Amino acid sequence: MSLITTAPRSDVDIFSDEIMAEPYPAFRELRDAGPVVHLDRFDMYAVPRYREVRHVLGDWESFSSADIAFNDKFNRYMSDFSVLRADPPLHDAMRSTLAARLARRALREQEPEIRRRAARLVRGLIERGSFDAVADLARRFPVEIVGDLIGLREEGREDLLRMIDANFNCFGPDNERTRDSFPKLAKVADYVLVGATRENLAEGSMGRAVFEAADAGAIPVQAAPWLVMAYVTAGMDTTVNALGHCLWLMAEHPDQWQLLRADRSLVPQAFREILRYESPVQAFGRTVRTDWTVEDVTLPAGAKLAVLYGSANRDERRWADPNRFDITRDNLEHLTFGYGLHACAGQALARLEGEAVLSALLDGVSHIQAGTPVRHFNNILRGLESLPVTVVPN
Amino acid sequence: MEHAGIERLLVDRNRCEGYGMCQQAAPDLIHLDDEDEPVIDVAELSAAHKPLANAAVRACPVAALTLSGPTAH
Repeated sequence: MSLITTAPRSDVDIFSDEIMAEPYPAFRELRDAGPVVHLDRFDMYAVPRYREVRHVLGDWESFSSADIAFNDKFNRYMSDFSVLRADPPLHDAMRSTLAARLARRALREQEPEIRRRAARLVRGLIERGSFDAVADLARRFPVEIVGDLIGLREEGREDLLRMIDANFNCFGPDNERTRDSFPKLAKVADYVLVGATRENLAEGSMGRAVFEAADAGAIPVQAAPWLVMAYVTAGMDTTVNALGHCLWLMAEHPDQWQLLRADRSLVPQAFREILRYESPVQAFGRTVRTDWTVEDVTLPAGAKLAVLYGSANRDERRWADPNRFDITRDNLEHLTFGYGLHACAGQALARLEGEAVLSALLDGVSHIQAGTPVRHFNNILRGLESLPVTVVPN
Repeated sequence: MEHAGIERLLVDRNRCEGYGMCQQAAPDLIHLDDEDEPVIDVAELSAAHKPLANAAVRACPVAALTLSGPTAH
């Protein structure tokens, strides 16, 4: 029998308000403890370093996403038609249906309209001078854009972000936030599975296309409503948080804002740096399918993993000076959208939205000043509840 | 094998979604055409190409790009 070292252990609660308010010191401790660290409170292993996060996400055959949520109840609730949980070949059929509309090539014709709408929204805010970057910008833009692309009715959209927030909380471990959010799933189900049916989705929309894919036999009929669910629950709140961070980071780092004003070709890189620096999705689950040996530790098949995206993106083993916000750094390989088979299907759209907002701000704003941000707490997502800002026009 | 085989960039067309990160990482080796389909510009990679080719592979968000020698298939 070979000697197997057990994984280092930690009793940190990465889902507590205290840690979530400022998670980076705790992430650093986990990274320094080892490539996998047993989280005693949850009986799962944190994967905090860049290298292993990329490895786990890149190998779906060795690491299952069936337990993507940190509690069994929600994994079962999501059904086998959750594209996040599925393996090929079902996964590939569902993913292709999404990609037919979400791939960059498919979004090209939407780009001018998305840019026009960003410009219109931002112009109005510049006229006001002072506004809340979360309520008036970050929470408005993705709901409008993505809501229209999915083909959702206007009615009820005002409640969407609260529902989606609850849906993301349900990915958490069995904690108070998760338990408080479960009753709210009924509203999500009512809105999507009952309300966003084929006839209620706009003609030509991404939502309608899902039902047409089922008609054509590309995906099982039962998968269609769950793909609409994926569009609704994954496509808005994540971008909301990225846009909130965008204003906050640019206000906090005026030198970076001026650098961007001087060279607008940096916009894609700047938005990536915002994503790297503050990852909207902080953690998702995986399960080890066959014994996994990493350095001198072997995790047995069945071990549950908490893959820490936000930590990987700040790993000093991968990034020079990781806690420096630097829009000129080489950041193509950030892991905010995940990686591999289950990488975010909407990343081209998120990027388009983010770059459109940044460009609209560059068109009209010379300085961004921010007041004190209020943090929003969610088991999975990192973002702001409010951020008062004042913009100085060009 | 005594000599390393000739290495090539391989695109899994079923996984590629046209993000173009490969082109940003290694513009001399690969580009996207008008339909955002990747086109391999250097069929056989020399040792000098390897760092860029590896960067292109790593940059692909959906792991659709791999490096492979002819013996692998």
